[in-house]
Amino acid sequence: MNRLTTTLNNLKDNNQKALVAYLVAGDPDLDSTLDLMHLFVESGVDIIEIGVPFTDPIAEGPTIQKAHDRALKNNISLKMIFDLVVEFRKINDQTPIVLMGYLNTFISHIDLVESTSIIDSILVVDIPGELSLKDYGITNPNINTISLISPTTTDNRVELIAKNSTGFIYYVNLRGVTGSSNLNIDEIKNNIQKIKKHSDLPTLAGFGIKSANDAKMLAECSDGVIIGSSIVEMINESSNSKEFARIGEYLKEIKQAIS
Amino acid sequence: MKSNKFNLPDNNGFFGEFGGKFVPETLMYALEELENTYNELKDREDFQKEFYSDLSNFVGRPSPLYFAERLSNHYGSGSIWLKREDLNHTGAHKINNTVGQILLAKHMGKKRIIAETGAGQHGVATATVAARLGLECHIYMGAEDVKRQSLNVYRIKLLGAEVHAVDSGTATLKDALNEALRDWVTNVDDTYYIIGSVTGPHPYPMIVRDFNSVVGQELIHQSKDSFNSMPDAIVACVGGGSNAMGIFYPFIDIPETRLIGVEAGGNGISTGEHAAPLNDGTPGVLHGARSYLMQDESGQIMDTKSVSAGLDYPGVGPEHSWLKDIGRAEYVAVNDDEALKAFHEVTELEGIMPALETAHAFAYLGPLMKELPDTANVVVNVSGRGDKDINTVAEIDGIKF
Ligand SMILES: Cc1ncc(COP(=O)(O)O)c(C=O)c1O
Repeated sequence: MNRLTTTLNNLKDNNQKALVAYLVAGDPDLDSTLDLMHLFVESGVDIIEIGVPFTDPIAEGPTIQKAHDRALKNNISLKMIFDLVVEFRKINDQTPIVLMGYLNTFISHIDLVESTSIIDSILVVDIPGELSLKDYGITNPNINTISLISPTTTDNRVELIAKNSTGFIYYVNLRGVTGSSNLNIDEIKNNIQKIKKHSDLPTLAGFGIKSANDAKMLAECSDGVIIGSSIVEMINESSNSKEFARIGEYLKEIKQAIS
Repeated sequence: MKSNKFNLPDNNGFFGEFGGKFVPETLMYALEELENTYNELKDREDFQKEFYSDLSNFVGRPSPLYFAERLSNHYGSGSIWLKREDLNHTGAHKINNTVGQILLAKHMGKKRIIAETGAGQHGVATATVAARLGLECHIYMGAEDVKRQSLNVYRIKLLGAEVHAVDSGTATLKDALNEALRDWVTNVDDTYYIIGSVTGPHPYPMIVRDFNSVVGQELIHQSKDSFNSMPDAIVACVGGGSNAMGIFYPFIDIPETRLIGVEAGGNGISTGEHAAPLNDGTPGVLHGARSYLMQDESGQIMDTKSVSAGLDYPGVGPEHSWLKDIGRAEYVAVNDDEALKAFHEVTELEGIMPALETAHAFAYLGPLMKELPDTANVVVNVSGRGDKDINTVAEIDGIKF
């Protein structure tokens, strides 16, 4: 059983909701990313999602797009991200790490992806959910397929996608890109209930979650929440001072709200 | 719409190993809806009638096949014929596609139209059909292209559409496409996305090809009437590849006709500063499809360079990648300076001012006519007229207005 499944099972056994925090590798630089990853864990984060920078991130809103651009200015490659995780694992071998990105960067480094045991899952934004990573040559048993289901996913697709997922199911809260803000709680509740009919996997809710109150409402109808743009925004605001403590406070507050 | 024995894409949208649907989950239902609508309508008599009626009465089809006598004499051997897409309403082949897609949008009850544009021709063609139906229209255009195609930007605004300048990335066509996709993900329920080339996720490469293939279908008849045989070669420029695909497609199973696509060589293939993925790229996934791409070894998309905004794109339609790999079509590249020279040459010899995109196709006539016999009939797809490029050309020639 890998770190992701272990962590999610433990949370379930203790009746706890998962907190997943996102950042972009190399924004503002790799040393900061490493510090932030440890800070995340100290602040109650259960799963770390690392954004792999790509020149054409079609699912991202302006906040995360700019973070990708900043990381690319630092020439961050997938190889460097794997090296970063090696460093992280010297201190932390428990916290699951999910890489989130676009197919073209992963298939360009299939050898890295195939041989890793320090990464727990890959979430590819631009592959259709009824397919799994195996369809793209990623067969590494350590790597879970996390599939996305969105408000526009039809019922028959929900069933197909649920069957194909292994780590958790990522429910995209809204029609839109990351960082949007038009949560419709009733729709989200309904759709997550529909997913639950087809799968025993935990279903986590992401996109559009900013405040502790958003997180609380969503945790009530899901198995956990994923927070991205608001963290990335705070990282950017502190990128000169490297004073990231405020992000820790923010995450603690979210963790409190969903507990 | 006529198909031939190369009956691709397959059900999953693949041309061999190229194509597919690589999009965020939110768009999958919209693509399915589009595919179902298209499959239901395309062969229906009332739909065909409406499409062809619009093509003749609104666009002005068929476009002539014109014998370019002085250009032929200039090269000294063979006959050069021009398929005059520049004479279409709005001045390029792009209108064939938008006239068709707006009918799909109308049938699906969509109230809001979005599109990306590079040279602005597709933006104009989209704003035109949206205006005709009174639909809200938003055009995404790279900030760099907004500058170099200012005339078309103003045309789009006159037509009542809103132009959104895109600053992200390289601020050209690929970034406009990114932004249009983001708009679509956000407004997917009421919005129809009219993609402007044979690119993007399935079913777009098929739909855009089918609507443009009226060009090749007309050419089959016109060739018989004009020189009593099939052309020995057809030459077309390739950005995303829609004008080329439209004229190539009906000829795929006519083996005596060579199909030649001309990509933008920019400063020269060897400099790496170009927009010629079929000449110097590798397969990868961008904008919803697997195709040849200009990318670095990390899978990041590279900056492109071309004097022509409409060819300045790091990818290419998946069907072209397939035609290249099976050897049915040839793909060459022409540099900026050669294209500019051809622009002036054709303007002076024929009284026809081609778009800078089209000038790339003309520029390949030099090497091509040398290798063909005197009896050869060569057709150039004149994808558009050059008025939009006058500012660019004047600037290069050092002229200020
Ligand atoms: C006149 C003209 N020709 C060619 C192109 C390139 O597009 P495609 O390769 O899809 O025909 C454009 C694109 O803007 C254009 O305006």
